[in-house]
Amino acid sequence: MFVPGEASILHADVDAFFASVEQRDDPRLRGRPVIVGSGVVMTASYEARAFGVRGAMGGAQARRLCPHAVVVEPRFSAYVAASRAVFEVFERAAPVVEALSMEEAFLDVSGLGRISGSPTEIAVRLRRDVREWVGLSITIGVARTKALAKVASGVAKPDGLLVVPPERERDFLHPLAVERLWGVGPATARKLHERGITTVGELARLTETALVSIIGRAAGRHVHALAHNRDPRRVRSGRRRRSVGSQCALGRSSRSPAALDGVVVGLVDRVTRRMRAGGRIGRTVVLRLRFGDFSRATRSRTISQATAATGTILVTARALLAAAMPTIERRGVTLLGITVTNLEAGAGVQLELPLEHPDRIALDAALDEVRARFGSAALTRAALLHRGSRLSASLLPGDRDRRRPMSSGGAAGR
Amino acid sequence: MKLSVPRDSLSGALQLVGRAVSSRGTLPSLGGILLAAGEGRLTLRATDMELGITRALDDVKLERDGTVLLPGRLFADVVRSLPPGQVALELRAEQRDVEIAAGGARFHLRTLPAEDFPRLPELDGETAKLPGEPLSATIELVARAASRDEVRPILTGVLVQAEGETLTMVATDSYRLSVKHTKLESPVAQPLEANVPARALRELARIVAAEGANEVEIALPRNQIVFGAAGVVVSSRLIEGQFPSWRQLVPESFEHEVRLPREEFLEIARRISQLAQRNAPLRLAFAEGELTVAAETPDIGDASEGMPAPYSGEPLEIAFNPQFLVEGIESVGSEELAVQLSSPLRPGLLRPVDGEDFSYLVMPIRLNA
Repeated sequence: MFVPGEASILHADVDAFFASVEQRDDPRLRGRPVIVGSGVVMTASYEARAFGVRGAMGGAQARRLCPHAVVVEPRFSAYVAASRAVFEVFERAAPVVEALSMEEAFLDVSGLGRISGSPTEIAVRLRRDVREWVGLSITIGVARTKALAKVASGVAKPDGLLVVPPERERDFLHPLAVERLWGVGPATARKLHERGITTVGELARLTETALVSIIGRAAGRHVHALAHNRDPRRVRSGRRRRSVGSQCALGRSSRSPAALDGVVVGLVDRVTRRMRAGGRIGRTVVLRLRFGDFSRATRSRTISQATAATGTILVTARALLAAAMPTIERRGVTLLGITVTNLEAGAGVQLELPLEHPDRIALDAALDEVRARFGSAALTRAALLHRGSRLSASLLPGDRDRRRPMSSGGAAGR
Repeated sequence: MKLSVPRDSLSGALQLVGRAVSSRGTLPSLGGILLAAGEGRLTLRATDMELGITRALDDVKLERDGTVLLPGRLFADVVRSLPPGQVALELRAEQRDVEIAAGGARFHLRTLPAEDFPRLPELDGETAKLPGEPLSATIELVARAASRDEVRPILTGVLVQAEGETLTMVATDSYRLSVKHTKLESPVAQPLEANVPARALRELARIVAAEGANEVEIALPRNQIVFGAAGVVVSSRLIEGQFPSWRQLVPESFEHEVRLPREEFLEIARRISQLAQRNAPLRLAFAEGELTVAAETPDIGDASEGMPAPYSGEPLEIAFNPQFLVEGIESVGSEELAVQLSSPLRPGLLRPVDGEDFSYLVMPIRLNA
């Protein structure tokens, strides 16, 4: 089991990410309660959280709790750009960065003492750099294990830094509410509360067998280990993704086949662009469907040559959609998603003859370049105009677009 | 129906039409071979709705005409296993089966409902005629570039055009494009253009070669194409839709043309391809007077081999899918082939140096930064 002797794992998390980006970009929003997302709350600023507004809460309830909140529509391209900038700072600070989401990562800074200073010094500098370079505040927890670092940042939020030295782990962990542990959700917490267990200390006094009998085998073992601060997981960066996907919630109103086609076009555009940016090619196209009754289904098709070309993936995705249309007409559809799996690193991308359109290859590359420079909203298909940016990003910073100058000879070779 | 027929003759015909028997069990009658006895002949038919093959046998002694549908694969296997000599077939209407008798062996095979069997288009009306050998040679060259992905059905076909004295066939899977013009000895009466499933053409080429057919007759009834060669009729549905306008895809000029001895280039490409596994490309590096073919598979190893090449100018490195490149070199029939290139991201063209009119355009692999 690998556990470092010193607290050298950082968990860094941008505070109220989407809302903070909005407040950063619009001075009028600063200091005011801000809710991102007019339907379901995607993020609430700390000012809004003070009134009890939480993520994933319904819009009506949020407005009741905080009637004077400013509600803004999400701007995903701005969040993607901000995420990219934050991770650039992270990657300068630590050799190993593991992204958990767009705004959250583990950093392993062990062994950097001579080069960059102690973990605490690195954390202080990191918070300052993100504020200076990106204009956002982050909270950092520092500990020996990932789970504890995450707990620490949760306790220190917002705009804080908390270092848990090895000899203080028990004192820190035991008084905390069980909900603070990474992996204890509402259901597990309720079961524990029913047995009168509210703190991590009370949890730690139970045997693993006793805990398993209360919350089940997998959760029991996991939580027992965490309560004793046993978490051997390393910080791992650069885990190659096996798939790239994007999806779009459609609401309950029925959509014409042309409108659904437009959604698929947009999703394929987005997915293939990310694949090209990461130098990945894929063979299997998966169409994800959620029907009117919220049941789900997937349809997939595998093609003979791995590709990242928009044209080929789109043709395949459209064939899947056409095959699913009878079901969609019968049951309605509330979500469409496109994922390309069977990804291959490939030493390169097999180019295609521009069969349908003259110079389609050059077109893909040119579109990618414009979007990398001016943001993903800079160019869109005519079919998607007036539709707004409703495609939700399932984007991990690890595969964010890497800028690659198109004309430079340095782009070739490995 | 009652008749007798030599085993070898019947077995050969069953193998031939059996290639059109449907392997999918959706419609039981499509798994069958239809036997029609009449007008002094026995005609065998099979179809999977896309491809249909009909073969007539003349060396038959007919006692009673009639039509039956028998399970194709089983019937063919049974006939092949019989002792040599005559095979007697008789429909026993009451038992709804066919008695197959040869030597001392007796088989009774239940018939399938023949009325469900689809009507196959006949070779009648106006037909075009093409010489057999050039047709099958052209198919072999071109059809391998057709796509095997049903995702884009249009690319699973071969565009067949005949006009005046020229027969043209084109196929592409969007990664490569194969074009062959063949000069005919006499002009065709009617111009012809059709997108024919590559599978039907491969069957036709096989039959033309096996039967030594000198001439192939072609008719185009609605949405179908029918070929007649040496007593065999091959019919196929046509692929609907517009075949890509391929002429615009072939660049008019290239920056470089390098002539290489085909056999040597092919051997080197095949040899080095062994280390281009898991989608790794084959790299061609051209430098003054030299070509180096190289491949590398991470965690497995690498290989390279050089050959003299009359190349001049700035060094150029271009990468291809090894299979696409090897198939292209194989397709060029001449002793010397010309490789035409412009840049690492533009298509390359392979063609024979002597008069033969064949071109194989292939898109490169863009190497990652």
